[in-house]
Amino acid sequence: MSKNINVALIGNPNTGKTSVFNQLTGLKQKVGNYPGITVEKKEGICKLPRGVKAHILDLPGTYSLNTTSLDESLVVELLLNKNDKDYPDVAVVISDVENLKRNLFLFTQIKDLKIPTILVINMADRMSRKGISLDIEAMEKKLDTKIALVSTRKRQGIDRVKELIADHKNLSSAPNVDAKRISPEYFERLQKTFPNEDLYKLWLVITQDVNFMPIEKKRIEDATSFATKSKEELKKLQHKETVLRYQFINNTLKETYKVDFQAAKGLRGSLDRILTHKIFGYLIFFVILLTIFQAIFDWSSYPMDFIDEQFAMASEWIKNTLPPGVFTDLLSEGIIAGIGGIVIFIPQIAFLFLFISLLEESGYMSRVVFLMDRLMRPFGLSGKSIVPLISGTACAIPAVMATRTIENWKERLITILVTPFTTCSARLPVYLILIALVIPKGTILGLSFQALTLMLLYLIGFGMAIFSAMVLNKILKIKSRSLFMVEMPTYRLPLLKNVAYTVLEKTKSFVFGAGKIILAISIVLWFLGSNGYSEDFKNAEQIVNDRIEQEGLSTYSKNYIQNNIDAYRENALAEGIAPEVIQDSIQSMTHYLRERAEAQEIASYKLEHSYIGRAGKAFEPVVKPLGYDWKIGIAVLTSFAAREVFVGTLATIYSVGSDEEETIKTRMAAELDSSGRPLFNLASGISLMLFYAFAMQCMSTLAIVKRETNSWKWPLFQLGFMSVFAYLVALIAYQILI
Amino acid sequence: METLQHILVYLILALAVAFLVYKFLLPKSLIHGSKKNSKDCGQDNCGCG
Repeated sequence: MSKNINVALIGNPNTGKTSVFNQLTGLKQKVGNYPGITVEKKEGICKLPRGVKAHILDLPGTYSLNTTSLDESLVVELLLNKNDKDYPDVAVVISDVENLKRNLFLFTQIKDLKIPTILVINMADRMSRKGISLDIEAMEKKLDTKIALVSTRKRQGIDRVKELIADHKNLSSAPNVDAKRISPEYFERLQKTFPNEDLYKLWLVITQDVNFMPIEKKRIEDATSFATKSKEELKKLQHKETVLRYQFINNTLKETYKVDFQAAKGLRGSLDRILTHKIFGYLIFFVILLTIFQAIFDWSSYPMDFIDEQFAMASEWIKNTLPPGVFTDLLSEGIIAGIGGIVIFIPQIAFLFLFISLLEESGYMSRVVFLMDRLMRPFGLSGKSIVPLISGTACAIPAVMATRTIENWKERLITILVTPFTTCSARLPVYLILIALVIPKGTILGLSFQALTLMLLYLIGFGMAIFSAMVLNKILKIKSRSLFMVEMPTYRLPLLKNVAYTVLEKTKSFVFGAGKIILAISIVLWFLGSNGYSEDFKNAEQIVNDRIEQEGLSTYSKNYIQNNIDAYRENALAEGIAPEVIQDSIQSMTHYLRERAEAQEIASYKLEHSYIGRAGKAFEPVVKPLGYDWKIGIAVLTSFAAREVFVGTLATIYSVGSDEEETIKTRMAAELDSSGRPLFNLASGISLMLFYAFAMQCMSTLAIVKRETNSWKWPLFQLGFMSVFAYLVALIAYQILI
Repeated sequence: METLQHILVYLILALAVAFLVYKFLLPKSLIHGSKKNSKDCGQDNCGCG
């Protein structure tokens, strides 16, 4: 008969809990050689031998059961509450073979809660390289448990873990360290007051900093027959507990764990000295950043152009193949243009995540965190804030959630408020298209201006996050600061499978997550741009034709025709075509181009008087001082749902009524302002990039900030502050550069 | 044919608007009702509970 059991995977950060979880359940949760990836519990199901079905929980990493932060308290909350539906029948403590001594501290604490506990020693593949040998049998006896030696990288030992979990009934639940030894007299009184409670559980409830079980704690404090101790006295007893545990662990490892330092090989020490050096460390990081941004531009330009052309061709094909009508227009001008606005960025997004994933997998990211901690302390940010800020380069949502590792509330709040300044992947499409349009293609010392601009934008975002933290730190007056400890994981060759999976998943979630929103917005925008209520819209053809008859074509149209003719003449003469043939061709070409220009003027007039044109024109005075026209204004407005909507919106607006096969870039490059200059020039381009660098344009992030702060006050403050700041910076930049 | 094209456009437009309302305007609690404990499904011999 099948039996359901609860299994909790617990361990220090970066010991490979999620890798074990993935291999037990067959799921694919994100893993990395980087501490703090799991901040929420994750669950999965696994069928085990003898018909046992296990409900497996992957819990956030913690160094001990004396918790200080929200993510760690999740673990203790579960282990102390027998009534919790997820209370484990068996705890599986995942440890790292190189840090067994420190990992066993948590193991002994869990074992002392009298929960049947299995010890998994992970990363066994590193043993021979590090000269480590283990006497598993002796260790099992000393720890009074069962041990599985596992290598998740090589997929070894997981069957043994499954066997041990299925046999959990044979596990001993006797404690490793007798809690009474901490203070016999104190624990005696505690036991007398609460005869039915487990002693070590009571002790943990009394000593927790996180007030996660107020009723239980209050019950203990209110017990008249039991006088609790002062905070200082309790701290002393906790120190005594630590000493007792390490005595037990040392005794265990003395006979069962050996390291032959002569056999150990590794570059870790010397690599760390260079990579975290106070000068070379930053230089190396700077060079790595430059390489990444250069690669994003250089490597992805070909696939980007290819995709752009394919979408332009697809749009043209639909127009020519399907019967003419509104639905055909919606497909070619709304849907295809909108989707093209996001798919075009797949190569860049994939390259960005490829590099981030390589840095995480190799263990280098933790060194970056260490470097940044040193750099940022003077600005009032704690080292613990660095992890969210760095992970914010991918997406602000998990980054805001990652602030749960920060125990000090005000410090956590500041980190939540400034994290959206770091350049997330949604800003990348906006930057890339604008840089390509307004920054010249030249190079300096072999580095392209465009790549340098992109890097500068990333640094501006990061700098703004630090600056805002400094200001908020002064306003909110933080007195205490978190203690920062970062796990320096071993350097590893990145696993191709993990890297490929991360790149695929992140790109997929970018395309599908943002893609659905962009598609929906593109459809609505196309509709609003193709319909209108005014007489001007309805009689557009008549009005424009009358105007052309009286005043002739607009300057833009005249230039358009002349430029095309000039280009044709130049090419024809270069090819040696006879002048009289050229003249004939020019005559028929002028007629054709004039027809096109007239159609374009009608389309443009209709768009201006459509629903969206009316709305854009009403909004235009707000964005005019920044150098934007009403079309950009609409793109900026829709971007408040999600930044990446910007390119798709412009692509849709510019393609309404257009019957030419054009790429997004050429459409944007052809736009002129009222004085006949390119609309996307250096001044308006820089102004737009700075606006996007600082504005809070992500509804999902606002929702997650609301959830994490449990109030609308902070997300609204964030939205207001960031948007006003972005507007002012964009305004100043445009007015200076124009 | 023209009527059919109009019907299709309005149908797609309604879907797009409904999606945007669902995504950004409806409170999450209203969408999910009582919070369901969603479990991911694995591969091999491991499935959803």
